[in-house]
Order: sequence, then C-alpha cells, then structure tokens
Amino acid sequence: MSELVFDAVSVRYGRHTILREVSLTVPSGATVGLVGESGSGKSTLARAAVGLSPVTGGRVLLDGADVRGLARRPVQLVFQDPYGSLNPRMSIGESIAEPMPRGTRNRREEAARLLELVGLDPQRAGVRPAQLSGGQRQRVALARALAARPEVVIADEITSALDVSVQGSMLNLIRTLQREMSLTMLFISHNLAVVRYVSDIVAVLRHGEIVESGPAERLLKDPRHPYTQDLLDALPKL
Amino acid sequence: MSGPMSGPMSGLVSGAPARLVRAPWAAFALRRSWRFLVSLWVLVTASFLMIHLIPGDPVRAALGTTAPVELVEARRQALGLDAPLWQQYTGFLRGLLTGDLGTSMVNDLRVAQVVGERLPETIKLALPAFVLVLAISVPVGVVMAMLTRGGRRRGGELAFTSASVFVAAIPEFLLAVGLVYAFAVSLPWFPVAGREELSSYVLPVLSLAIAPAAVMARIVRVELLAVLGEDFVRTARAKRLPARLIYARHALPNALTATLTLAGLLLTSMVAGTVLVENVFAWPGLGSTIVQSILQKDYPMVQGVVLVYGAGVLLVNLLVDVLLAVLDPRSTIREG
Amino acid sequence: MGGKWRVAVRTPVGACSAVLIVVVGALAVLAPIVWGAGAEATDTTAIQAGPSAAHLLGTDSLGRDILLRVLVATRLSVGLAVTATLIGLVAGVLLGIAPSVLPRRLGRLVTSAVGIAVAFPALLLALFLAVIFGVGMQGAVLAIGLAGAPSFARLTQTLAASVAGRDFVAAARVAGVGRLRLMTRHILPNIGEPLVVNATIGAGGALLAFAGLSFLGIGVQAPDYDWGRLLGDGLDRIYTNPAAALAPGVAVVVVGLAFNLFGETAAAMLGTRTRRLRPAKPAEPAEPAVRRSPARPVRDAPVLAVEDLRVAFGPVTPVRGVSFTIGAGEAVGMVGESGSGKSLTALALSGLVEQPGTVTAGRLEFLGTPLPGAPQREVRRLLGSSLAMVFQDPVASFNPTQRVGRQLAEVSEQHQGLSRRAALGRAVDRLRAVRVTEPERRARQYPHQFSGGMLQRAMIGMGLMASPRLIVADEPTTALDVRVQREVLRLLSGVRASEGAAILLISHDISVIAQTCDRVLVMYAGRIVEDMPAARLREGARHPYTRALLASVPDMDTDLDRPLTVIPGRPPEPDRMPPGCAFAPRCPRAADRCRSEDPELSRSEHRVACWHPDERSGGPA
Repeated sequence: MSELVFDAVSVRYGRHTILREVSLTVPSGATVGLVGESGSGKSTLARAAVGLSPVTGGRVLLDGADVRGLARRPVQLVFQDPYGSLNPRMSIGESIAEPMPRGTRNRREEAARLLELVGLDPQRAGVRPAQLSGGQRQRVALARALAARPEVVIADEITSALDVSVQGSMLNLIRTLQREMSLTMLFISHNLAVVRYVSDIVAVLRHGEIVESGPAERLLKDPRHPYTQDLLDALPKL
Repeated sequence: MSGPMSGPMSGLVSGAPARLVRAPWAAFALRRSWRFLVSLWVLVTASFLMIHLIPGDPVRAALGTTAPVELVEARRQALGLDAPLWQQYTGFLRGLLTGDLGTSMVNDLRVAQVVGERLPETIKLALPAFVLVLAISVPVGVVMAMLTRGGRRRGGELAFTSASVFVAAIPEFLLAVGLVYAFAVSLPWFPVAGREELSSYVLPVLSLAIAPAAVMARIVRVELLAVLGEDFVRTARAKRLPARLIYARHALPNALTATLTLAGLLLTSMVAGTVLVENVFAWPGLGSTIVQSILQKDYPMVQGVVLVYGAGVLLVNLLVDVLLAVLDPRSTIREG
Repeated sequence: MGGKWRVAVRTPVGACSAVLIVVVGALAVLAPIVWGAGAEATDTTAIQAGPSAAHLLGTDSLGRDILLRVLVATRLSVGLAVTATLIGLVAGVLLGIAPSVLPRRLGRLVTSAVGIAVAFPALLLALFLAVIFGVGMQGAVLAIGLAGAPSFARLTQTLAASVAGRDFVAAARVAGVGRLRLMTRHILPNIGEPLVVNATIGAGGALLAFAGLSFLGIGVQAPDYDWGRLLGDGLDRIYTNPAAALAPGVAVVVVGLAFNLFGETAAAMLGTRTRRLRPAKPAEPAEPAVRRSPARPVRDAPVLAVEDLRVAFGPVTPVRGVSFTIGAGEAVGMVGESGSGKSLTALALSGLVEQPGTVTAGRLEFLGTPLPGAPQREVRRLLGSSLAMVFQDPVASFNPTQRVGRQLAEVSEQHQGLSRRAALGRAVDRLRAVRVTEPERRARQYPHQFSGGMLQRAMIGMGLMASPRLIVADEPTTALDVRVQREVLRLLSGVRASEGAAILLISHDISVIAQTCDRVLVMYAGRIVEDMPAARLREGARHPYTRALLASVPDMDTDLDRPLTVIPGRPPEPDRMPPGCAFAPRCPRAADRCRSEDPELSRSEHRVACWHPDERSGGPA
C-alpha cells in the first residue's frame, strides 16, 4: 500500500465551486477520517480520487504519480448506498470478480477468499444482491473494492444507510481489515464518533475547504478551529 | 443536500418592470419559448426538405408517367425546383414570413387559402373533444381513486381498469365506424356526414374523445392515488383538515400537474386523430385535406398542412409546459 | 428475464392475452396456407352479398368471402405491425445509445433531435414519412417503424441514464471496466426488460396505426389486403352489409388489445418489484376499535394514555400491544431500529394509520377524551388544535405547489375560525417564533426555496399555530446535519418550555433521545421492551437489547481498543414472530423460558419486559 496525496484539488461545475484547493495526505497504512456536513464536498473529493468527478485544478497523486495516468485502478471506492452499488443482474461472485486485475488466476477461488475475508459464506457467491440484507451487500461492495488489489480504499459514508446494530459489525470489520492488511484508507463520514473509531488522522471539510486536520485523538480532544469545536458541541450526549 | 435552496430567480431585484419576470414561471416561459422557436425552425426545415427527400422527380410522380415533358418542365419551373437548394430554402422561408405557402400542384389553389379554410373545421372538432375528455376523465378518475384507494373494492378497480384499457385500445377511426353503425345506421339518430346542424358534431367529437378520456381517467386515478400516498398528504391529515379540503387543496392540484403533461400528449395525439375521424365523416378539415393531397401527390399542399399541424403540436406543448410552471413552481427548475 | 413474463402469464389478464397472442400467431402462419385460395375465389352468384350460410360474413364486390379474407389478412396485418415495431425498436435503441458513444457535440445533437421529434404524434410523423417513402406497403412499414423510433429512443435514453447514474455503474468504471462491457454487461441487461415490454405495447400501437394508414388508402394497396383495407372497403357498404366493416374492425381491436394487455401486465410486474412497500401510508383514518372498556378513572390527567395498542395489516401485526402514558409537559423518547414499529405506533395514536391498516387499542385517550368513541367532528377539532406532528422528511412533508405561509395558515382557518388574512398573520408570527429569518418573505415562498432544516422548523411552527398539548416528532432530525439537528432539538425543547407541550420524540438514535427526553421507551419487534428514565440509560438499562444497543453504537468515549458489541442475527419479520420473547434468538442471556413464553412489561417505575433482566449496574455489557 502507498501514500495518496490530494494536491490543491479543485472541482468546479460551471460557476459552482465544490472543492477549493483541497490538500490532504493519506499516509501509507493509515486511515484518514474525513468529516463534513452535507454539501461540504466530501463525496466529490472521493469521486475525484477515482476519476468520477472532473478535477478542474490540482492533482491527485499516488506515490507521486498522477492517478489519471495510471493504467491500473489503484484507488477503489465503496459507495454509501448498498442497494444501488451492486448490479442486480450479476451474482455477487461475478461482481467481485469483475475488477480483479488482468491475469488473475482462479477468479472463483479469489472471490471465495474475499467473501470469507468480509465475513460472508463463500458458498453464496452465486446469489444475486436482492437476496442479501443491506449489511451483507455492503460487505460484498467492500470485497469488490478489495478484489482490485487497490493501493488505497475510499469508503464514502459506508455505514450511514445501515441500521445501528449492523453499523457496529461493519466498523469491526473495517478495524480487522486495517489490522490484517495494513489498509490505506480514506474513511468519509458525517458521524464524528464513527470516524473517531476507525481513523488515525481526522480532517474536517467545510464548504469545499479543509478547515482543520491532525491526529485523531488530538483533534477531537482539542479542536483548534471553531467549526470543529461547533461540530463536536453539536453531538448529542448520552 | 439540504444546502440553502433558493429559487432560480430569487436573486433578481424587485421593482415594477422586474415584477413579471420575477415570477419563476414567466422567466421559464421566456426560456421555453426559445426551445419552441428552435423546434419550429426544425419543423419548417423538415417540411421544406420533405419534397427533396422524395426519391425521383416529385413533379413527374405527381403528374404521372404519361404527362408531356413540357408540362413537367413548366411545373418544375413554377415550383422553383430548378433553382439551387439554398435559394429555394430562402424563398420558402420568405414565403412563410409573408404567409405564402405556395400553390397546389393539382388545382392551382393557394395552399395558404385552403389551409386557412380547413383549419377552423379541424379546430371545431378537436377543441370540443378535448373539453369533453377533461369533463369525463377528471371526475371519473377522481371518483374511482376515492372508491378504490387502500386496496378497497378490488372488483370495481379491476372492472374500471379493464374497461378503460379496452376502450383506449379502440382507435378513433374504428370507434367512428362503430358509432356510425350504431347511431347512424342501426338507430338513425345522428347524421353520418355533413356539418350543418349541431347534431352532426356529436359522432365525430365522440369518436375523438372517448379513447383519450378512458386513458386520462386511468391516469388521473393512478396519479391521485400516488399523491394520496405522499408525505404532504399525511401532513394535511395531521392538520385534521376535512376530507374535501385534503382532496381539493392538497391532493388534486398535485395529481393534476402530473396529469397535465400527459394531457398535452393526449391533445397532440387528438390532433392526429382528427386525420382519421375527418375521413370517416367526410369532414372538410385539415385531416381529409392531407390524406387527399398525399394520394394525389400534391406536395405543396402536404407541406402546408404538415406545417400547420406541426406548429399546432409545438404550440400545445409550449402551453402545457408554461401552465405546468404556473401550477408547480418546481417544474421550472427541472426543465430550466 | 423469463421470470416476470411467467408471472405475467399467471395473472388472468396476462393469461388471456398470452393465449390470444399464441392463437393470432398460429393464424398468421396457417391461415394463408389453409384458406389462401378460398379467400381469392370469386363467387359470381353472390357479389356484395350479406351474411348467408355459404358466406358467414357476406362477400365483397368481387364475390369473395369476407370471413376468409379477414382470417387470411392476419398474416399481413400482424407481420407488418411486428416488422414496423422491430424497425422502430432497433432504430430507437441505436439513436438512444448514440449520445453515449458519439462525440459529445454530435451526441447532444442527436438528443435534441430526438427531443423535438418525440413531441409529434406518431401518426403525423408516419404521414410525413409516408410522403417521402411513397404510398404503399413498403413505404408504410418504414413510415410507421421510423415514426415509432423517437419514442423508443427517448425511452432508451431515459432508462440508460437512470441506470448509468447508479452507483454500480460508477463502481464498474472505477474498477476499470471498458465502455463496451459497461454497455453490454451493466446497462443493457438492466434496461432490456422495460424495452421489450414497451415494444410489445408498441406492436399493438403499430397494428392500429397500420390499419389506420391502410384504411386511408396510404398503406397496403390492392391486390394485397390487410385488416385496414378490408375495413375501408367495408365502410363504403356499411348500410348494406355492416359485418364487412365490423369484422376486420373487431379483429384489429382484439389483437391490438392482446398486445397491449400482455405488455401492460408485464410492465406492472416490473413496477411492483422496484416499488418499495410502504405500509403506513394509504388514505383514511382507520377507526381504532375499543377492545376493552376504558374503566379506569384518570388520575393525573395524562396528555396521552395508550393501552394495548395494536396495528395490523391483514395477518401481519407490526405493532403488538404497546402501552404507555405521557404526562403533561413530559418529554418521552421512543427508540428502536427500522421495523421495530415505532413510527407506526406514532401514526396509530394520532389516528393517521390508513387502510388497509387496522388499529385496535384497549385504551387510547388524548387529554382525557377516548379517541375511538368520540364523534369524528370533536376528535378532529381536539387533535387539530392540541396535537402537532413533525415528520422525518421535511421536504416531502410540505405541499410543493402551495406557499409555506398558506400551509401554516390553513390550520388556524380550519380550527380557530380565523380569517384568511388573520391566519396568514399568525403564520408569519409562528415562523418568527421558530426563528425563520424574514418570516414575511419566507411565508410567501414555496417549500423548494427553503433548506431542509428551515422547513423542519416551519413544520414545528405549523404545530404551534394552535396551542399543542403534545408534539409527536417522528425522526425529525434524521435527514439533517448534526448542527441543524441540535438547532431543531433545541427548538423542540424551547417549545416544550414555553408552551408547556409534552413531546413524544421518535428516533433510531438513542443519544438524541437521551439528550432531549425525560423518559425513554425502547421498542423491539412491535413491543416496548423497556421504559426507563433517560438520565439513567448508561448505567441503569436492564433489558439485554437496550444494553446491546447502547454498546453497539460508538460515541466519543468508546474504548478504541475493544471491538464494538455486535447483536448477532436480525430482528424477526413481523409475520414470523417466535413463540417466546422476540429478542431471544439474538440474546446472550436467553434461557428455555425465553424461547417459549413471551415476557410482559413489568409494572413499576422502570418497566422491563424480560425474564432475565441484567441487574448489574455500571457500563453496558
């Protein structure tokens, strides 16, 4: 795994600026939690890294090389909505096998291995997404991202469509993968507590600009920017 | 997602002249008119090109293989078909602007004059038919929605749906033939042709209106049921408004805006329906004119009628979209 | 693909139309072979004859049998219609896909050309094209086929765009899937079905259009004949032999209908699968039926008293006996996962469950008035002025075609008898009370001009038009950001303080409830499993589900070195409730009794429905 760098990335649609010169580094083997409210541009940042949003300024670099020039797809994205992110007409095994790099031998075995890795029964590789629950689908989506043997995985609000009790097991899975695969990850969420649980570094995005970033523990305990402070204050307390 | 969503026109300053444009629908109408003009231009160009797309010599085709060469040449010249294409095109456009649609190849009548005489006859059929469609379909659709909502009266729902599908599947001209057989032949209540008395309008208008009315009634019902399931209807119920207000103020206006788009389609397809119905009842409108002209290969006349029909369709679409914008302010954003 | 057609065939309408299509197909193949010669045979003894034993439907001007001619014409009529539909479908799909394959400019040109062409009725297009292709069968096939192309193109574009916008296509692109494979593997399979269904309906339309053109003399020319031409010929003699016109007419209608119905049935099947089931929203209050008489006298006059509330949809009972009271000015929270029945409970106690849902309750009293028994008029007045509702999706909960001020004002017009003007004034005042800036201007705006948070405040303002004694807020902040959520929650608490209204706050987020409410009701599988003071949640929860819920949600103090508690399995489906405690299959403390006997909610200050409640105090398990 390797380092992902957003170097002064801007995204503009017509007159609307979604991202304004965002610079952010995801160090190798670390997880960066990106926090922001709706409309802050956090999904756009994720999509910019994988080429789904047009980058109008700056560059996205992987180990110093512009990701747009790379032949393979070293950055993979897991989407928010597990109901829309799997092709309903493909079995989950086929979906997982699709992004595997060319020349992968035994795609079937590899798919089974990945299913097992995300905590699903490899025997079920033949089923269609419609037969799975939301949490199970999200695990398949994660397995598909891993199948591409990515250098970096971006998770865009992957737990926000799940029920609270399912969210917990998804977060545990992320923690396990971090430990076992030394995953490099950009974890995007509106939920500070969720970000805190999985991130080494936290960055706060507001109106398309990073207002603050730093080690998770320090930033969440001792925020320096008033906006971060306000976000933390707004959290309901038990 | 929930960022401040201000209307597209909220930035405009207030003040007397800006007042009209400040209404979102008026600004929308301006933008929409532009699309109308582009479509109109495409229509004009297409009908101009029509005569040139016909394989072979259209004049020879019209006059027949036995016509003398001189006559064909003379007619070609009269139609200006010898000039370069762009000259013909500018001439055609100039003619349009001065209200000159050319001359018939069959009887030397001015096309504009013929169309001017026939158009009112077609409108006299289409307009009452449209009013009849609305008068039948909206009440029927609303009543059916009220009776069958929440999965009640499944039998009634099935009967209504089957009946409307059945009626809607009968094309206008077949309905016309059936009506003629029933009410002019078996029961001689109405005249089969002619247009002197009011009674001669009954069968043609009915033939035009019945199938679209069945389609509309079904759509009104479905749309109303969909709207009744919306959150804002639940809000209206949570306000404890009486049922008539929930229907009249909250459900129906929203159901009708959804229906309106389809009503426009329906109206344009009724314009097309007049072609067939006029031929059954020997009604001297645009519909019988275009069919005759096609059969006689009277291309300038076909061109003129196609233009008028097409412009009518575009105009209806424009009106429907603007009306939609007035009724539902959101539609200006979707379309804009 | 095959599945839905098979289901479509199983419905009565689908079966009938399928049988018809098969019969028509057989006729199209066989009729010309069997009766072809007979249909051409002229009977000089019977020219233009009416129906007789020899000629059931009479004869035409050359003495040919009309019945045989109608049967034989099946092949041409159906064949032409199907050919034209195929031409239209292929041309349309090509045009529809073109914009995503061609260079941008060219693609846009195609799109707008299709947009213009689709505005014209197919018959007009067909007439126009018939002029170009010439009168006759070939010309008519091309004309009708191509006239249908724009609408197929539009359909393809819309379908492809909706599929292309979905995340799985984005995921495939991220995975490096090429354009061609994207089209063949991800987009086309997902739009093929609706395309074929529409083509079936289109074939019915083409059949009618062909009959129309032939009837006008523009389509099939003699000596060939299809139903349209037979009809045209017959119409001339409708006074002498009506059967000659009616028979081909009936053939056209019946076969057209068969195509239509078969397609529509299949389309309906397509629709049902994509539509989400929403049990809580069809349109008339289902009258709660009293099952036990409310004999108990009211002591502290609670705002709301509910006993044994049940909501059923047919055999399924998503709410299975819920009992609680809300005191004056009290803030009660109701927490549970999706499907636990919390929203349905809220709708039921405010009389908003609609048919086919049925609500029953041992007792359902609002401000001391039993709702089921009281006259409708009185209930409406009482609830209209004293019960306010706030729903989850503020954007969807406002009528998009009415100004926000009007929507608030109509409450006071209805229940307080205010004039239109006075009610509007009150609406502005209430908008100001919920801190909507520039309330006069905002009142004149439409909902889509508001942000989500502002609309939710306006919704609360709507509840304040009268003087509410209870505000039922169903997931009021789920769609909002945390800072907006804080604002809305503060507003609710402020209203509670200033108006003295009680609050029933429903949320899936236990911390939202803990922060806002005095008391919390925990719902699981249609029941309240625990009812306790909100302040003691952290250390005092006794039901294993409540404890697991608390432990599975990370907060800012969660131990980062330990995995989150996970509740294994899934909640039971409402139609498959286990015999004992509904939580038993997922419960670490479950014993035999739990699996056979359903625990009742205990009767005490801190109510819990569990055979083995967790008595340990301190942090959650």
